[in-house]
Amino acid sequence: MLPIELSIAISLSFIGFLYKFFCFIKANKTFKKKRLSNGLNLKGFFSNTVFQIKLFKAGKLRWLMHFLVVSGFLYLVIFHAMEDVTSFHLFQYYQSTIDPFQFLRNLAGFLILSGCLGFLYRRIFFFKLLKKRKIQFKGLVSILLILTLILSGFLLEAIKIISQPIFMEMVEEYSDIEEGTDLVDLKVYWKKNYNVFFNETLTITQAKLVNGKELNENYCIDCHSPVRSAFLSKRIALVLKKASIWLNTHRADYLLNNVHYFLSLLIIVCLPFSRFFHIILIPISSLDKNLEKKQIDNTEGHINTATLYACTHCGFCSDVCSVLPNYLITKNLNTLPHSKIESFKRLLNHTLDGPQALFRLQSGNDECTLCHKCTDICPSGIDLQNLWVRLDQKLTAKGILDNYSFVDNISLQKWEENAPQKGKIDSIIWKTPSLADNVDSFENCIQCTLCTNVCPVVEHDMNMNDYTPQQVLNLLRLGKKHMATGTRMVWNCLSCFSCQESCPQGIKVADIMIELKNDGNLRTDTMKLDNLKRDR
Amino acid sequence: MKIKQNKDCDVLVIGAGLAGMVATARASKLGLKTIQAGNSSALFFASGLLDLLGVYPMDSKKIVSRPYSTIKKLQADHPLHPYSKISRNHIGDSFQFLIDFLDSAGLKYSLPGQGNKLILTSVGTFKPTYLVPETFSKGCDLNPKNKNILIVDFKGLRGFSAKQVASGLGDNNRKVHTLTIDLHENNGSLNPVHLAKSFERKEFLQTLSNKINRFSPKTDIVGMPAICGIHNSLVLVKKLEKKIGKGIFEIPGMPPSIPGLRLKNAFEKKISDLNTIFLSNAKIIFNKMENNRFILHAINDNFQTNIRAGCVILASGRFPGGGLLATRNTIIETIFNLPVFQPKLRDQWHQSNFFDPKGHQINQTGVETDNIFRPIDTAGRPVFENLYAAGSIIAHNDWTRLKSGTGVSCVSAYTAVNNFYHKISSMRNKCSQ
Repeated sequence: MLPIELSIAISLSFIGFLYKFFCFIKANKTFKKKRLSNGLNLKGFFSNTVFQIKLFKAGKLRWLMHFLVVSGFLYLVIFHAMEDVTSFHLFQYYQSTIDPFQFLRNLAGFLILSGCLGFLYRRIFFFKLLKKRKIQFKGLVSILLILTLILSGFLLEAIKIISQPIFMEMVEEYSDIEEGTDLVDLKVYWKKNYNVFFNETLTITQAKLVNGKELNENYCIDCHSPVRSAFLSKRIALVLKKASIWLNTHRADYLLNNVHYFLSLLIIVCLPFSRFFHIILIPISSLDKNLEKKQIDNTEGHINTATLYACTHCGFCSDVCSVLPNYLITKNLNTLPHSKIESFKRLLNHTLDGPQALFRLQSGNDECTLCHKCTDICPSGIDLQNLWVRLDQKLTAKGILDNYSFVDNISLQKWEENAPQKGKIDSIIWKTPSLADNVDSFENCIQCTLCTNVCPVVEHDMNMNDYTPQQVLNLLRLGKKHMATGTRMVWNCLSCFSCQESCPQGIKVADIMIELKNDGNLRTDTMKLDNLKRDR
Repeated sequence: MKIKQNKDCDVLVIGAGLAGMVATARASKLGLKTIQAGNSSALFFASGLLDLLGVYPMDSKKIVSRPYSTIKKLQADHPLHPYSKISRNHIGDSFQFLIDFLDSAGLKYSLPGQGNKLILTSVGTFKPTYLVPETFSKGCDLNPKNKNILIVDFKGLRGFSAKQVASGLGDNNRKVHTLTIDLHENNGSLNPVHLAKSFERKEFLQTLSNKINRFSPKTDIVGMPAICGIHNSLVLVKKLEKKIGKGIFEIPGMPPSIPGLRLKNAFEKKISDLNTIFLSNAKIIFNKMENNRFILHAINDNFQTNIRAGCVILASGRFPGGGLLATRNTIIETIFNLPVFQPKLRDQWHQSNFFDPKGHQINQTGVETDNIFRPIDTAGRPVFENLYAAGSIIAHNDWTRLKSGTGVSCVSAYTAVNNFYHKISSMRNKCSQ
C-alpha cells in the first residue's frame, strides 16, 4: 500500500489534472464541433516526446540543457524514487549504496543540476536581452523546485556518508562485532575509505587497516561500494566535515530526508498547476497532425484548447516571425506569436478586458501573413497556423473585422460621414512626406488616364472598382482627401509602381496611394475602436 | 540618402520622346556608348503616324500631297526652318533608318514613297501623313471599290464613336454601317490598354469575329479603333481578317494611344537590346565642362548619377516635356540656359484668335541652331562644340500646324548623331594614324 501522504499528493495531482482538462473541454465548446479527422501524428508524437526533436531543431544548446534534465529526472524517478517497485524487483542484489546505482544516481543528479543551472543562467544573464524581445519568464518556480529537490538529495547523501550514528546503527544491525579492537579497526577502515566522520581520535596504522578491510569484506561490502563512486556527494561530504559534529548530534539526516520527501510530493501536486504541465501537454499537442493550408481553409474552426497551454514561452516563434518588423513599428505585442497566444487564452477564458485589448488583439493578428514559420519551429509542436486562422474567425464572429474587410463593408458615403473633425489629428503621424496634403505633388495631373491604363488592379476587375488611379488623384484635386482614403482603388493598390513609372507628369502616384492607404488605416482603426466602445 | 554612381558615355540623350528615341537608336546603332535620360511615357500621346510635311503654306491650310517637292519650296521661303538646314537625302535616310529600326523591333510601317497619305481619323476627318503602321494602311486613301464599310466601336471605350467616324465618311458612293460591341465585362469605362491586351486572348478574338461576321454580307472592309493588341498587332489583325474574311484597318484616335504605346515598346525593346542605359524620370543638372566633356548630374528618387559625356543631344522638348520653361516675362531653356528665340514681349506669345491661321508666335520659340543642329549663341557661334538639339526644342518650327513633328524630330536627331559620329571617328582615325 502507498503511504498516506503519497496517496494524498497523487490524488491532489489527479484532481488537478481533471480540473484542468475539464477547463479545456469547456473552452473547446466555444468552437464548432465539426472536426476534420486529420489523423494522429504518431511519428511526431514519439520523436517529440522522447527526443524533443523539434526543440533540437530550434536550439541545440537549449535542447542539450533540456535533455540533461529530462534524462536525469527520468532515471531518478524510475530507479530511485520508485525503487521499491522497480529496482528491487529488476536487480537481484539491488542496494542504493552499491555500484553502479550509487554512481548512476550521482550522475543523474549531476545532469539535472547542470541542466537546471543552465536554465537559470539563461534567465539571469540573458534577462535584458529576453526582455527586449518581450519574452516573459514563466516556470522559474518549477526550476527552483527541481533544483532544491536535487540539492537536498545530494546533501542527504553527503550527511549520510559522514554520519557516525548511522554507522553505529548499521554495525549493530548487520554484524556481530562488539565494542573493542575490531570495531576500532572497522572504524579506521571506514574513516579512510568511506569518509565517515568519527567523533573520537583514531590513529591509522597498516595493521588496523588490514584487519578493517577483512571485517569490511565480511560484513559491509555486499551493500556498500566505496564512496568514491558517489563523486558529488563525496565532495559535499568533505566540505561538510567541519560541521559534522553538529550535524551528527542533531541527526540532520532525518530532517533532510523529510525535506527531500516533501519536495517530491510537492512536485507531484504541482504537476498540473505549474510549468511541469508541459510534460503532459506537449505530447498531446505533438499528437495532433498540423493542418495543411488547404485543410485549414476547408474546415470550420476546431482547435484543441490543451494545445494552447502547451506553449512554454520559449519565444522561438517570435524570433522567426515574418512580421517582427511590424511589431517594432506598431509596438503591438499581439503581433508576436508567443504573446498573441496569451491573449488568445484570455479571450477564451473571457478575461480579455476592454475594447482596446480586443482591438489590439485583432490588429496584431491581422499582421500575420500565415507564413508557417512559427508552426515549423514551435518546439511544443503546436499547430499555431491553425490557431491564428481560428482566432481570426472568432474575432470576425465577434464583429471585429480586419481593416480591409471593414472598409469593404462600408459604403463610400458612410465613410464620408465619418470624416475626422478638422484640426483633430489621428494618434500616429506617419513618417512619410505628406504628398496627399501638398498641392504641388498632384496639381500637375492632366487626367491623361495613363495610370489607369497601366494599372493591373483596374485591368483585373475591368473597372468594377469604384475609382481608378486618375480619379483618386482627381479627388485630391477636389480637396476630398478623406473620401480618397476610403476608395477601393487605394485599398486594392498593389504598390507595383506602374502608374508612377508611366506618369508623363512625374507625379508620385503610387507613393500617394500608399500614403492614402496609411491614412485610411489610421482612420479605420479609430472608427473600429469607436464602434467597439459604443457596443459595450 | 541618394545612392551615388558615376557613368561615362559618348552620347547623353536628354529626352525620351520621338527625337530622343531616334537619337538614342542611331547612336547605339553606330556603336557609341549611350545614356538616355527622360520619361518615355509621352510616347503614349503619339498617334503612331509619322508625318513629314502635311500642310503648307501654314496659313493656307493646304494639304500637301508631295512633301519632298513642297519642302523645296519651304526651304526657299523659310531659311530658318529646320528642314532648310539639310538636304532631301538626309530626310530620306533618316526616315529609312527609323523604319528599319522599328521593323527590326517587330513594328512594321508602310514603305516611304514620294507622296502623303490621307488617313481616316477617329473624328471622321482625313489627315495627311507620310508613313503609317501596316495595321492602318487599308484605311489610307480608301479604295472606291470598298463601297460598304463597317466601323466597329466598343461600349465604354471613350474617345471613339463609330457613328462619328461614319458621319464624316459617308457619301453617295459609300455606305457606312456601325457596330457597337458590348463586352458585358465592365460596368464603367473601358481602358484602351486593357482592351488591347484582351485582343491577345484567343476567345476574345473569336467572340469579336462572331459579332462582326453577322455584318459581313453587307461589308467590304472593317475599320476599328487602334486597339488590336500591343505586342504583335499586325499578326492579330491578320488573324482577325482571316476569321471574318474581310480586310481590317485601324483608326488612330485619342490618347492614351495604343499605336503610341507600340512605338514606345518597340523603341525601348530594341534600345535596351543595344545595351543603352536608360535613366527614368531623372532630373538633369548641367554642372560644368571638363576636358571638352560635359559633366552632368541625373537625379531621381533614389540615385544621383554623375555623367561624363562627350556629346549631349538635347531632345527635351518644349513646354510639356520641360525643355522650355515659360516664366512671367521670358522663356528659358532649362538645362543649359541656352539663348531662346522668342517674341520680344509676352503680349506677342499668342494671337487673340485661338484658331488664327497664322498660328501663335509661341509655337516658333525654341533654340536656334547652326546647320548641324548645334545651338548657337547670339553671335551665331555654337554654344558648345558637342551640344546638339533635336526635335521640337528647335526654333522656327510650328510642327503641329505644319504636321511635320516626326520629320523634324527624326531628321534633326539623326543628323546630329551622325555629325558627332563622323567627328569622333575622324579624330580617332587621326590618332591611330
